[in-house]
Amino acid sequence: MRTKINSILAILLIFVTSISCDNYLDLRPQDGIIRQEFWKTKEDIQAAVIGIYSSLLSNPPGIGGDTVSEYLFMYGELRGDLTAPGVYVTTDERDIMNSNIVSANALTSWAAFYRVINYCNTVIDLAPAVLAKDPTLTQAQLNNYLSEALAIRAYLYFTLARTFKNVPLKLNATLSDLDNFQLPVTPQNEIFAQVIKDLNLAEEYGVKDYKSIASNKGRITVYAINAMQTDVYLWMENYQGALTAANKVIDSNNYQLIPASNSWFNRVYAVGNSSESIFEFQYTTQNLNPFYNMFLQRPEIIASQKVFEEVFGIDYNNALNKDIRGERASLVPGTNEIYKFTGLNSDERKSLQESDTHWFVYRYADVLLMKAEALAELNQGEEAVAIIKNLREKRAAISATALNVDGKNKIDVIDYILAERSREFAFEGKRWFDVLRNAKRNNYSRIELLINMALSSAPANQQQTIITKLKDSNSHYLPINDYELYSNKALVQNPFYK
Amino acid sequence: MKRYLTLNRLMRLTLGVLLTITFLNCTSEKFKESTDETLNITDYIRQDKDYSMFLEILEITNYASFMNTYGTYTLFLPTNDAIKNYLSDLGVTSIKDVPLVDLQNLVKLHILDQKVNTTSFTDGKIAAPSQYGQFLVTGASNSNGVSSITVNRTSNIVVSNIEVGNGVIHVIDKVLRVANKTLAKTIEADKTLTIFTEALKATGWYDKLNQPVADTKNLNQYLTVLTQTDEVFKAAGINNIADLKLKYSHLNDPLNVKDSLNLFVSYRIIPKLLYLADLAVTPAVETKAPLEVISVKLSKDTLLLNQEVYNGILEKGVVVNREKSDGTASNGVLHFVNKNFFIKKRLPAPVYFDVADQPEFRKLTSIFRQHLGLTASLFQAEMSEVTWDGANRITYLDGKAGSSTGGGWHGDFLEILRFRTGYIQNVQFKTPVIIKGKYKVWVGYRPQTTKTPLVKVYFDGVELPKLINFLEYPTATANDQEERVLESQGYKHHVTPYDRNQNSRLCGVIDVPTTGRHVIKFESLTSNTGAQTWIDVVEFRPIDMDQLWPKLQSGGDGIIYQ
Repeated sequence: MRTKINSILAILLIFVTSISCDNYLDLRPQDGIIRQEFWKTKEDIQAAVIGIYSSLLSNPPGIGGDTVSEYLFMYGELRGDLTAPGVYVTTDERDIMNSNIVSANALTSWAAFYRVINYCNTVIDLAPAVLAKDPTLTQAQLNNYLSEALAIRAYLYFTLARTFKNVPLKLNATLSDLDNFQLPVTPQNEIFAQVIKDLNLAEEYGVKDYKSIASNKGRITVYAINAMQTDVYLWMENYQGALTAANKVIDSNNYQLIPASNSWFNRVYAVGNSSESIFEFQYTTQNLNPFYNMFLQRPEIIASQKVFEEVFGIDYNNALNKDIRGERASLVPGTNEIYKFTGLNSDERKSLQESDTHWFVYRYADVLLMKAEALAELNQGEEAVAIIKNLREKRAAISATALNVDGKNKIDVIDYILAERSREFAFEGKRWFDVLRNAKRNNYSRIELLINMALSSAPANQQQTIITKLKDSNSHYLPINDYELYSNKALVQNPFYK
Repeated sequence: MKRYLTLNRLMRLTLGVLLTITFLNCTSEKFKESTDETLNITDYIRQDKDYSMFLEILEITNYASFMNTYGTYTLFLPTNDAIKNYLSDLGVTSIKDVPLVDLQNLVKLHILDQKVNTTSFTDGKIAAPSQYGQFLVTGASNSNGVSSITVNRTSNIVVSNIEVGNGVIHVIDKVLRVANKTLAKTIEADKTLTIFTEALKATGWYDKLNQPVADTKNLNQYLTVLTQTDEVFKAAGINNIADLKLKYSHLNDPLNVKDSLNLFVSYRIIPKLLYLADLAVTPAVETKAPLEVISVKLSKDTLLLNQEVYNGILEKGVVVNREKSDGTASNGVLHFVNKNFFIKKRLPAPVYFDVADQPEFRKLTSIFRQHLGLTASLFQAEMSEVTWDGANRITYLDGKAGSSTGGGWHGDFLEILRFRTGYIQNVQFKTPVIIKGKYKVWVGYRPQTTKTPLVKVYFDGVELPKLINFLEYPTATANDQEERVLESQGYKHHVTPYDRNQNSRLCGVIDVPTTGRHVIKFESLTSNTGAQTWIDVVEFRPIDMDQLWPKLQSGGDGIIYQ
């Protein structure tokens, strides 16, 4: 009798536990959504694509470290000659500024870039399957989304290859821990080739007009893709390609330079999305840019001593005659504070709560000057000089910075373009890349550009070492971070960083 | 046995188990006793066959165990190939053939007592000396497009910044060599320096340059010598020591420290260890010639000595030969210059120092000397040549033309609001270059009727006798004669035409010991200073010069002669 009761109880217990345990064994996250439930409608694709943009602006929740826009600033400016250490400069920043770079330097981490690349890869891999599930999604819409992901991925690989030279190329999404993470590096030229391939496809798929200004400036359009193509072609020394791509932007008649006035700075930078803008990271008052702290509250980086006097020039006879891009646009004279990302107009700064100045990836002037560079290399220097002249008039550049250049003299024209670019894009993350691109052209025929830049900015007691280091072309690229070398055994360190 | 068997089964089992446990389980378990697996220097070297020869040296010299103790060391670790080359340079086949003392010195030269990563290397010496005492020089070299960091100019760093438990290791491809020659011997051994060697011997400096350094860790006991080759002498028309004596030795007694030839040599000896990288960041260096300094300028990548602008004329400097310089000797360092040079003889000249003319103010072009009545204030961190106590800002005031603050020289003032302890105190300015000699110091200012301070002035830390009372307005004078009387009382009108808001006070006479830039400090002695203090110009006039004329232009930039 007793055994019988016991067995009944036991059976009952098994029933109860095995039935009510259903939820218990379900391991779905409670605060997120899993892949099998996502990727079903076109809204899902849109959410994923907008997610890519927002991860360019700031890191996803729970992930610290610098944002992509901060890296873009630092990779483009720290090694150039327009910046100097501020009071709160970090050791890592200072070491990069002084060409004292080791692989332990935390700023050489590329994690922020590969994180966004993976988001792009995920869209590219998984979005096409939605076509079968959501009948309202058209092939054209899908292509538009793919174009955005392809272009952003291309731009990030382009930046990585300009910064690190050879980097691992991963073109498919990382969806499981079983993926192979031990990827070797791909040479820079192959990365560039892949970037062009992606951009050409993106151009084919791309959107010309989103019907809203914020989207036209904040999302990838065909013209943003053309601007990227121009840039990449210049790096690949394909000047005809660069010229063709630049002309596509110019011939669209979508963009124009805003004439110099007191409101120019406010319109182009503080407000943003102006008719000069092609692609900007859209910071808002809900999603503030990271530069307020970096340049104003606890200044890590300031403008170098020479920027105000030598780059923008001073008219000692007439204080009102000034380049609109200089005083209280790029910087504040005297304190050398970088003003571009914190200023509201020529008198006031933004407050912390309204510090929403965008990050400017491509502006129309960039395309114009890149076209001038391509023209100069195609021996059409006169046209290049005309472009510079026109831009300088629009910017009220002062005569002290004007050069009388013979269009047939390629070196002089390029020097003029570089000088004009340093005025136009001061602190927009371009300087180092501009100089490096021109120095390395034709097998480093103009290495002196880099050396002269070092001469004007290097600390006196390290100058000779820095110059000698720059004579090694491998030193122009950052090392692979120690952590990456440790976790990915297939990587080989840049030989300069021994 | 029988007794054991008589026990019941349970007891037997228990006993058996107990016995087994005691015998088997008594081995102690192995616990990991260290928390850190990082190797120390010697253990690290032991792991790698490429460094076996240096390990052997460490063992012979008894340094092996020392380098395994905890601490913070830097080791420059030569590879086996490097040591083989070193041995073949010495002409021996094995390490054991090298004298023990040499090996010990060699090891000491490769070890620093501090941990130094390559990120803190400069063009010059590493801040910490080696255990041997000699400083190591870092730099970079490029061969076939590959750049490497170098140590002592010859050894390339092959692997850098290897972190070990007790410091850091840099692997080098060539053994560092001990500099065992003194400066005197190094100069003598150089066949291109015969005239300079003879000059050293003739003036007695040879023996001084031949003395070893007593305290190798004290930088000030080392010497830096600026030499020039025979060719440079010949370019200056000096073909031998006789010519040199003829040209310089005016007392015909080179051993006398006052003889010009002696000064010629002592002016080239700097009582400090200064590699080129150190020179590049030192605006002026003292020499062994009494009170004579050499100014140093870095123009792009060229180091220039004594390049100065005096009275608007650029005096070209002497170029330092970078390739040959930075030669390390046991008691100092040797540099080469490309041109003959000597102490510049200069007569004291007046310096009118407009204290508001600071490089940072000059950049504010919409304000600076526009005479619009505008001001700009800067914090101390933003100024390069002014310092003060307190966290508040000082101001540039550009007086409006024709107004009561527009009558200073250049029409501008340096304005200090609440010049007192606890707000802004001890304002120090770096002066322009003043040639050595005796000067009277006049301070031109714009007085106010209330709440201005009584100020004491210091020149290079030396207190000047007379105070400036910023309440004191000028006394009007009818003619030059009356102003001469005023001058004898320590007052004058520093600007012309006369402005009743501009006064100048004689603070005292100074003796400027060396030609160069000096420091002038203003200290407020008043605690209730609530108003602005306006300083216009500090005049350093040589004592034998007219103290009234030329005057400075009121509201303009000119200097006006009588």
